[in-house]
Amino acid sequence: MAKTEEYKMFQGCTIGNRIPFLEASARKVFDKLGIKTSEAPFACCPDPVGFNSTDHLSWLAMGARNLTIAEDEGKDIISLCNGCFQTLKLVNKELIHDEHEKEKINAILKTIGREFKGTINVKHFVEVLYDIGADKIKENVVKELAGLKVACHTGCHYNRPSEIVQTDDPMKPIKLRGVVKATGAVPVDYEEEMLCCGAGVGNTEEEPAMQILNNKITSAMNAGAEAFIVNCPACFQQFDTNQKKAEKIAGKNFGIPVLYVTELLALAFGEKPDDLGLKFHRVRLSALLEKHGLS
Amino acid sequence: MVVVDYELRKKVMDAHIHDALKYCYQCARCTDVCPVAKVTDQRYNPRPVIMNSFLGLNTFMGEKDNFSLWGCTICDTCDEVCPQKIELTEIFTVLKNMSIARGEGPDYYTTQASTIYDTGKAIPMQPAIERRRKDLGLPVIEPPDADEVKKLLNETKLNKILKK
Repeated sequence: MAKTEEYKMFQGCTIGNRIPFLEASARKVFDKLGIKTSEAPFACCPDPVGFNSTDHLSWLAMGARNLTIAEDEGKDIISLCNGCFQTLKLVNKELIHDEHEKEKINAILKTIGREFKGTINVKHFVEVLYDIGADKIKENVVKELAGLKVACHTGCHYNRPSEIVQTDDPMKPIKLRGVVKATGAVPVDYEEEMLCCGAGVGNTEEEPAMQILNNKITSAMNAGAEAFIVNCPACFQQFDTNQKKAEKIAGKNFGIPVLYVTELLALAFGEKPDDLGLKFHRVRLSALLEKHGLS
Repeated sequence: MVVVDYELRKKVMDAHIHDALKYCYQCARCTDVCPVAKVTDQRYNPRPVIMNSFLGLNTFMGEKDNFSLWGCTICDTCDEVCPQKIELTEIFTVLKNMSIARGEGPDYYTTQASTIYDTGKAIPMQPAIERRRKDLGLPVIEPPDADEVKKLLNETKLNKILKK
């Protein structure tokens, strides 16, 4: 396995091509913490929810093609997205551990002059931040977020299926909480911490997705959370973009802001809200930022 | 009338997890933890999907957007709690692939796959986002080789599935 000084950046379609302000915070935080990345012409990971449900073979082949692009440079991949992370990690593991599948996919890749070798690793950015350690994060904190109560939501594809991805504990993840605590913010315990954001079923029917979201938000707010902290763009869009829809179903206003964990870190590192593009959030952050002296 | 669908049963039993599947004892731990079952009064319920799939009872085909199959939100929570270590989500993927091939999947899935087939990305780059990236000081995203992706997806016969 490659042990790289520099990662290949895999921001994915949603962050790169729809909500790039999340990437802006990630890059600022990576710079401060000395995480080096470089670009590559990756295609869609492809989506473990949509594309794998459509055709598993095509999903494997496209995932393998992306992995070969990183293999060409001998560099590990760092993913900013749960979906891309899960796809690339699962495809990598499946092809490394199943010779028959590897031969089948390599026969397909041969038509475009590529070969999967299984020589690199795929990392979720939260794993990398956690491994850097709380001390290094604390060294960079200039605005301690003490007293900010947050609900951590890792999302499903960050750590499942746990036997294969092995990122964190599947039912009691510690890494996101660890990173958040290093800023001084306080992760609350809430009953539905492990509940899905509901994005998947939303592709079929909206109402069940919004009911799941409603359960999730209600549980976090009842526990005293002032904001959600997430590490997946699909979850981010569900909590932030779709919060209004969930409010309609619940018949009440939530107005709970949502921060990507890298946005939380960037604010603690002294970055300005404008430079992070926080104005592109649907749920307003101004009251929260003001309360904690971050505006 | 429900009949045994041998093709479906063969496909499910050919999946590499079939050995575990045989030992499902219908304890319904999957149903207990399913977030969709909880909010839909079990209109979606993973337990009978598993039972019917290994019996070859094709109750989730023959209807577009069938919620008893497509209600799965792919959270993988059932996989984590199954006492028999059945990777339920993998079985659901086999069934969903069959549903798509029959033209019965929700449009979201085929539309997304079609965009990926045409452009290499699920969300193609837009000029407004390119400008926003520049304003945020972000590097240009190198576009994928769309022709190469298309060639690959013709080889996996996605073009036939999408009727392209």
